[in-house]
Amino acid sequence: MMLWNRLKYLWPARRRREERDMREELESLTAIAGAKELGNLTLAMEDVRTTWGWTWLESIFADIRYSLRAMRRQPAFVTVAVLSLALAIGANSAIFSFADAVLLRPLAVKDPAALFDVTSTTPDNPFEGMSFPDYRDLLEKNRSFSGLAADRLTTLAVAANPAAPARMCFANLVSDNFFSVAGVTTSAGRAFLPEEATSSAQPLAIVSDDFWQQNYAGDRSAIGRSLRVNGIVFTIIGVAPPSFTGLDRFIRPSLFVPLGMSQRLDGEMADPLEDRGRHDLVVKGRLSPGVSQKSARAELAIIGAALEREYVKTNRNRHMSVRTELQRRMQQTPQLLAIVKMLMGLVALILVIACSNVANLLLARARARSREIAIRLSIGAGRGRVVRQLMTESLILAIAGGLAGLFFAYGGIRLLNTMSVPSDPPFVLGVQLDWRVVEFSLLVALVSCLFFGLIPAWQTARTDFVSALKAGGEAAHGKVHMFGRDVLVTGQISLAMVVLIAAGMFLAGFRNMLVMPPEFRTDHLISMDTAPAVLHYSPNEIKAFYRRLVDRVRTIPGVAGVAMTEALPLSPAQTIITVVPEGYQFPKGREKEIEFGAAVDAGYFSTLNVEIQRGRAFTADDRTGSRRVVIVNQQFAKTYWPGQDPIGKRIRLDSPTGPAAEVVGVAKTGHYLAVNETPAPYVYVPYEQNPRSQITLVVQSVGDAVSLAKPLREAVRSIDGNVPVFNLRPVATLYESRVTDTWLQFFQMVGTMGFIGLALATTGLYGLVAYTVNRRVKEFGIRVAIGASRRDVVWFVERRGLILAVVGIAAGGVLMAVAAPLLAASFPGLGVSSPAVYALVPLALLMVSAVASYVPARRAAGLDPVRALRNE
Amino acid sequence: MDLLQGTLDMLVLRTLRAGSLHGYGIAKSIRSTSNEALDIEFGSLYPALKRLELKGWIASGWETSKHNRRAKYYKLTAAGRKQLVQEHSKWTGFVSAVGLIMGAAPEVKG
Repeated sequence: MMLWNRLKYLWPARRRREERDMREELESLTAIAGAKELGNLTLAMEDVRTTWGWTWLESIFADIRYSLRAMRRQPAFVTVAVLSLALAIGANSAIFSFADAVLLRPLAVKDPAALFDVTSTTPDNPFEGMSFPDYRDLLEKNRSFSGLAADRLTTLAVAANPAAPARMCFANLVSDNFFSVAGVTTSAGRAFLPEEATSSAQPLAIVSDDFWQQNYAGDRSAIGRSLRVNGIVFTIIGVAPPSFTGLDRFIRPSLFVPLGMSQRLDGEMADPLEDRGRHDLVVKGRLSPGVSQKSARAELAIIGAALEREYVKTNRNRHMSVRTELQRRMQQTPQLLAIVKMLMGLVALILVIACSNVANLLLARARARSREIAIRLSIGAGRGRVVRQLMTESLILAIAGGLAGLFFAYGGIRLLNTMSVPSDPPFVLGVQLDWRVVEFSLLVALVSCLFFGLIPAWQTARTDFVSALKAGGEAAHGKVHMFGRDVLVTGQISLAMVVLIAAGMFLAGFRNMLVMPPEFRTDHLISMDTAPAVLHYSPNEIKAFYRRLVDRVRTIPGVAGVAMTEALPLSPAQTIITVVPEGYQFPKGREKEIEFGAAVDAGYFSTLNVEIQRGRAFTADDRTGSRRVVIVNQQFAKTYWPGQDPIGKRIRLDSPTGPAAEVVGVAKTGHYLAVNETPAPYVYVPYEQNPRSQITLVVQSVGDAVSLAKPLREAVRSIDGNVPVFNLRPVATLYESRVTDTWLQFFQMVGTMGFIGLALATTGLYGLVAYTVNRRVKEFGIRVAIGASRRDVVWFVERRGLILAVVGIAAGGVLMAVAAPLLAASFPGLGVSSPAVYALVPLALLMVSAVASYVPARRAAGLDPVRALRNE
Repeated sequence: MDLLQGTLDMLVLRTLRAGSLHGYGIAKSIRSTSNEALDIEFGSLYPALKRLELKGWIASGWETSKHNRRAKYYKLTAAGRKQLVQEHSKWTGFVSAVGLIMGAAPEVKG
């Protein structure tokens, strides 16, 4: 009753009605009894209003109304402040959305914080997957997890109906409990049952919402229909909800299939689920209530040790680790973490610059308002009340800046979204403007409000109102005030310098990258991926298929050469080879190394123009049965046999007991995953001696490479129309998008930041110098009156701006000493310490500062001394 | 005479048991019933009235007096009646307890 009555008063109309009623009642009583008899009615009414219980809310509204009124009188101030904040908050939000997409966003599962990543680790590889037998044993023995799900990402050839051609799709092979552990319920149909997980079960599939919409237009009748996957007919039993796109950041599977289908889908002789040496499963576990990550880790260490004792051959030196999703991402992609840290750091600096701007404006404004505030204080407003009023104004500015910032963020996010990795099926970089970004923006706005709002509010509330009233708006202790503002402006300049140098370094790095030779030919080449393995070809059939394909492609008019490789350089899907180089002393606990490498044919080096610096390239004689050979790159030789002749050395492949191959050639070190990577070792093995199930064909054209696309597709179709063709594109396109596009976008991003930082800092400096001129109009009047020339006055003002700039630049230099190593870490191999940047940025800052102070200086010099002196 | 803390509400409820009154009428009634001993300032009575109304113990409505003057009249609600019974028994308990301790007025020797 009481609560309801009070809530009714929350409604302003209700309060107004009560107020009217109360006044009417008191008037009627005054008429009856007389005003004297009734006493102090104003106080009584105030007491009554308090009983309604919403006076605090009323007073907040009053503060807001008052603030808005005050702001309306100063549109220029509001515009500059809100724009400064909007630019900075927008930059922060855009970068946050990027960081969210690549690193921070939790998995789209129920209670993601309770879902942990369980990995099998060895000293050679701390992120190896789990083998299915290990997973099964773990599932049985552990008490820490209430649920453990295993899954593996793969690509499958999927035809939505028996007549359609197969397309390559990402798919997730999952354990039967995958959806229940994730806490995800299908939006149509159902999840897998335990008995459906075995290899002998009927083939069933759950499709992603995207796949459902694209192929069945979201029709529920899709449940029960069949799909052809790698040539096997599957029945759709469910649809994943739109929010659930799998457990990977960048890969969104179209299909979920039981792990039990692995053997049949891959057409393998042995069941991969029985192979304890095959480490390709991602395991996610939900901790039981009351179990900590630490105790789970301890339990898994014991289970891991028991497995190591029992299965020495496969599990030697193998342990299990329990990581949170974020821990795993940060450890697994340190390069991404470094870039995110650097970008977040830069936008944080921008935010500080913008906040200093607003704080400076507020300080200037507070001085102008000191008389108004002194009056409010002297008629009895509490200092707390005045501070609250000022904070309300800051908060309104911050929220307006935050909301306006979302528009800038939207622009930034659209730019970020054009970043792409050329790949079929596509990777997804999910940069988006969602509630997380909105919340982040508002949070940033609130934090910045504390920064730029509290200092001026506190300064103002300390005002000695007697002297403020006496001085007529120009309060005493101006020295302290001005010093604080000087510090803010020099701080801005120093931070702007850091941001600009970062942008300059990015530009220098980007230029280095553009002039960096790819170390392989990119012109007149087109690449094509095919996957005969998905049609259950035997290894011999695959070999025959590729032989026929290469022969057929050679006969296409306009083809100058054909090469086969397992992985094209700079394509996002690089392959690796496990090596044990002869005579190399491994670090303790390790016995093999994993390096980039690929099986290539004899034509590879000449077609792609990869230079063989010593020894020879592969020839047609390097085939099955002949002596095993390898070619390594220079960097490989330097890493494993420093100062020795690599030719004739031997490398064991796959494991310490694997086949030994002799080094017959040394290739020039190129770029394999990214142009800016640090030089990486690379191993080439002859395709004929190491046949692979999936090969990229690289075809050299006489004319335009694109014109070969159609005949290449035809060539595959003429051999077997069911073999999927993908990643069919000119090598130049791949190269450009890998080298220029992504980095160009990064550069644009950092460049924009540098520009924003410079603009904000310049505004700050200009504002301060102009303000000083305004305050000292009288002084300049006197100077001119007693004979100072225009040049004297200009120099007098200009000098002040330049002193601030020089101090700021010096402080920026000190900051750079701290920031430079952090910056360099985020783009390795680019030689970022460009002396030109270090020289040009301070010079540019100095020039901009000179211009920014010249404008008010001219005004000071143009003052009419008589008018200036009379202006009291 | 000053009021004991918290007794004003009880006095208002008790006064309204006799029938509805306007705000000033309540003040007058308390003064005359107490033989002018309790002179409650209208300024403190009025907020108390509004508080009681908010709690639902009294209700108000516009009426015209016998002198043909419009005023807001307050009357006891059912909840108010119940509250009055409670306050009354608490009050008598309090008075008798204080009486036991204080006894008869002590003689002043002199």
